[in-house]
Formats: sequence, C-alpha cells, structure tokens
Amino acid sequence: MHKSRSIKQNAPPDALPNFRNLGVMLRILLIGSGLALLQALLQADGWADMPLRVMQMATLLTPILLASLLLLWVMQPWLHRLAYMRGVLAVNALVIMLTLSTYYFGGELYYPPGREGSYFDVLRYMLLSVLVCSVLLTYFRWRSRVLSRALHEARLQVLRARIRPHFLFNTINAVLSIVRARPGQAEVALEDMSDLFRMAMADTQDLVPLRQEIELSRQYIALEQLRMGERLQVEWQVQEAPEDALIPPLLLQPLLENAVYHGIEPLPQGGSILIELRRSGDELRIRVENPCPARDIAPHSGNRMALQNIRERLELLFDLEARYQVESGKGFYRVEITLPYMKENAI
Amino acid sequence: MSTVELALRVFIVDDELPARNRLRELLRDCSEQVPLEITGEAGNGQEALDKLMETPADVVLLDIRMPQMDGIELAQHLNKLPRPPVILFTTAFDAYAIKAFELHAVDYLLKPIRLRRLFEALTRAREAVPVQTEVLRELLPEPRKFLSIHERGKIHLVPIEQVLFLRAELKYVTVRTAECEYLLEESLTALEHEFTARFVRIHRNCLVAKEAIEGFEKGGDEGESGWQVRLKGLDQLLAISRRQQHIIKEFSSS
Repeated sequence: MHKSRSIKQNAPPDALPNFRNLGVMLRILLIGSGLALLQALLQADGWADMPLRVMQMATLLTPILLASLLLLWVMQPWLHRLAYMRGVLAVNALVIMLTLSTYYFGGELYYPPGREGSYFDVLRYMLLSVLVCSVLLTYFRWRSRVLSRALHEARLQVLRARIRPHFLFNTINAVLSIVRARPGQAEVALEDMSDLFRMAMADTQDLVPLRQEIELSRQYIALEQLRMGERLQVEWQVQEAPEDALIPPLLLQPLLENAVYHGIEPLPQGGSILIELRRSGDELRIRVENPCPARDIAPHSGNRMALQNIRERLELLFDLEARYQVESGKGFYRVEITLPYMKENAI
Repeated sequence: MSTVELALRVFIVDDELPARNRLRELLRDCSEQVPLEITGEAGNGQEALDKLMETPADVVLLDIRMPQMDGIELAQHLNKLPRPPVILFTTAFDAYAIKAFELHAVDYLLKPIRLRRLFEALTRAREAVPVQTEVLRELLPEPRKFLSIHERGKIHLVPIEQVLFLRAELKYVTVRTAECEYLLEESLTALEHEFTARFVRIHRNCLVAKEAIEGFEKGGDEGESGWQVRLKGLDQLLAISRRQQHIIKEFSSS
C-alpha cells in the first residue's frame, strides 16, 4: 500500500481551522463583520447614530480583519504545527498585535469624537478583538467536531454504497469461468479484486495520491473487461494528470463503476468511457463521460448512492473549494469534479 | 437411470461470455449424472428467441440482468412458444427479483452457481411446469420493451417504441407501426395499464403513443367529439371520443 496522508492532521477534533481554505476565510469575514454590527447596535444611542457607529467599527475592523486573514494565511504552516492551546494563544496574540498597531497608526481616525485616545480605548479594543477571536475559534472548533463525526459516518457509508454486490458476484463468477482454462489470468484477477476490496475496507485514510487511485481504477476496469469483453472500452486521458496530487480515496473508481453499471452494461453494443484527469492552475479536474441508453430518462432512485456519497465527502473535506457537476443529455452522462490541487508531502 | 430417458435439452442465455462458459463447464460436469445436451447459447433476448424457435429446448438457463431485454421479459415471450421451456433464472444479485421469486416460488440460481444447486434444479426441471405469464408479469415491475406477436407459427418481437397506436378489434388488438400492422392476443386495458407512461387513451378502443402525436384536427363524422388525432408518419386519422376530449388540451399546451 502506498504512503497516504491523513487530513486529520489538518482538522482533528481540536485544531485550528485551515486558514488557507476559502470557506474558512469567508466565514471569518462574515462572522467578524456580523459581530461588529452587533456591537455597533449595542453602542448606538438611536437609529440615527447607527450608520456612524457602523462606519466607525468598519474603519477599524476591516483593516484588522484583512490583515489578520493575510497573516494567518502566511503563518498557516507554522500555526498548524502548534498544539491547539498554543495555537489559540498565538492567533489571539497576533490579532491583538494587529489591533494595537492599526489603532496606533490610524491615529486620530479612531479617537472618539472630541477626545484624545485613552488607555480605556486601547484596552477596550484589545478585549473586543479577543472576544471576536474566541467566538470565531469556538465556532470553528464546534464545526470541526460536527464535521469529523459526519466525515466518519460518510466513510462508513463508502463501504455500503460502494462496490456493488452485483459487481462482486459477477466478477467471482467470471473468474471461476476462467480458472480451468486460464489459471494465470484468474490469479491476476483475484489479486486485482483483493486490492480493490482492501481499499474499500480501509477507513483510516483521508487522502491518497492520485496515481494510487488511477492504478486502482485500472484494476477495476480490467476486472469488468474480463466479463464484458470488448463491449467495454476505456479512453484514458491522463498524460497531464499530476500523479502526486492528493485526493480522497475511491473518488474515481465509483464514478467508473456507475458509468459501467448504468451506461455501458445496458447497451447491447457496449461503449467507451472517457476518463480525463488534468491539472488547471491550483485545481485538479476529473471528468468521466459515458454513453447511456437514451430510454432511461428517469434516473432510478437508489442508484445515485455512490455519487451522493462522493459529493458529501467532497463537501466535508474541501467545503467550497470543490465542485461537483453532472450533465446528462440524450444518450450521454458526464460527471465533472474540481478539487483543490494538493501536492503530496506539501501539506 | 433408464435408457429410454431422453437427454435434457438445455439452452444458455447470458450477455456475458465468461458466465456462459462457466455454465457450459458446469453442465458438462452435470452430464455425468443427468443425461443432457446443450443445444445452444445466446447473448441477448432476440438471439435467444430466434434460436429457440429453430431448435426447441426443455430447459433455458436465463440471466435476469441483460441489456435491451431482461430475462424476465424474455421468459414471457418464450411462454408463447408452442412448447414453452422450463426457465431457470440465474442472477448475481438482485434483491428485488429474489424477493419476488421467493414469493412466487419461482426457481432461480445464484451466481456463482454451485454444481450441486444446478444439478438439483436440472433434476427437478423434468417435472416442472413453465411459470405462468401472469406471475412473470408480476415479477417485472417495468413495462416490457417488446410486444411478441404470433405470426405463422413464429414469434415476432415488435419494439414498443415503434408502436404508433393500439386498437382493440373484436378478438385481437391491432398493433400499428409506421410500416406494418400486427394482431396481438392481449387485452387493451392490460396494455394501457402496463404502458401508461408511453400511451394515452383517445377512445374506448384505442391507445396512441404520446411521442407520435403530431396534431389534432377538426372534422370526420365518425369522431364523436368532432376531433381527430394525426400521428407522425401515418396518413390515417384516429377519432377522439367525447370522454377523452380533454387530452387535446393537455397535449396542445405541452
């Protein structure tokens, strides 16, 4: 088995969020601004006073928020090596520092009307930023706990939703049919099968190198070709695939299984599945396209389980940074997945 | 084993070549105890029907999940043969079908098939009677993909998507495609029920394919509602009854 990396290092139950994740950054911005608005509401004397208060808060808050995001982004690799409590302290210290320097360099801009800046103000803003920080960190901690439970369930579901019993028994049947005539080929088929099931039953891995998933998918296709023969054709477009990219395990194979079961098998003449893997900038794109019977207009309810599971796992692992699109028309079905490109040994 | 006993004629239907090979091997193993003869094999329903009309068999080993026409539908068509064979369904995994089989006590074999199970099923097959078409209809939740028509001692399969309209005559139902007309021995009500997604009733005695509807025309004295429907690729106009007049509105808007 290849070396694999666990995303748990990134977000175990008690860890700082990944400050380089778009979803995390957006949440910080939204919640930070929301708290500021709340504070403006508490401070204001009346409705007329609100705009001024909001403006005041915004002028102070926006630079702090943006600068914090930037610094956290830069320091993410270092922060994520710290123990959780130290990380919390570090983040707080960083934000306090940014608050103080913004306040200091902003000068008169932040002084209350008609008054000089005072220790009281400095202290107040410091406390406020610690408060905002704590709310945010508590929120992220709570969220990662909820998510890790969901992720665990999703992983268990992989087992159930994945490898179809139909596939298992048909393949065993096909292997049995060649045992007497071609024992060598039967051996390889059984080895492929055990690899496939080992992967399906392993539930500790969160991310695996792309080349491993490609290898597994090739083994899977070889097994299907054993029983379907020339009816199943596959076109691999993987020359530009970054083999060191990390992806959740069993992302590609279930897509292929779906394409075979609902696309190629019901076609008397069979057909060809197109698999395209490529990198585009910071993203990894996976595209699987297959022909399917045009008559099957209404998708059966039970059969999208595997796809549903993939979608859920992507959401849990990558939040907003992964996209999942399905396009289907007369006689074809296409799934396209885009996820952030992560290099092996780089997280 | 008495010498007068004739060899059991067995026919194999499965879309996967390895699965057919495996069955051949097992049958060969069985043939030491049960006198049998493999009369042929087929990879799909149409091929199976053609071959079985040529050379009849006593037992058909029939895969359930096949492209185009599944095994349960093929079994229904095979029941129209002069001497319907005993069907032994084979399946790798199909929770729904297995439950239905158990319910109706229909014999089936689970893949990978064990020699002993096959042997037992073949031994029983001599006394077995073919499963009733009504039972098969219940096993198959989906409408058939073909209608099977008796024609001069042969069975002809008409793909359901080629059928433009179905009209009840005195004893038969007329099946009309763009090119031909056939006679079918089934009830229009049952057909309407089975193909409700594809056909719409325009008259007490007539169902038309929704996809084939081209337009509606006023006129014709036989049309009780005064409306007639025009179908794609057909000169003949069909009368719409007063009771079914509402379909004009439904189809004109869409």
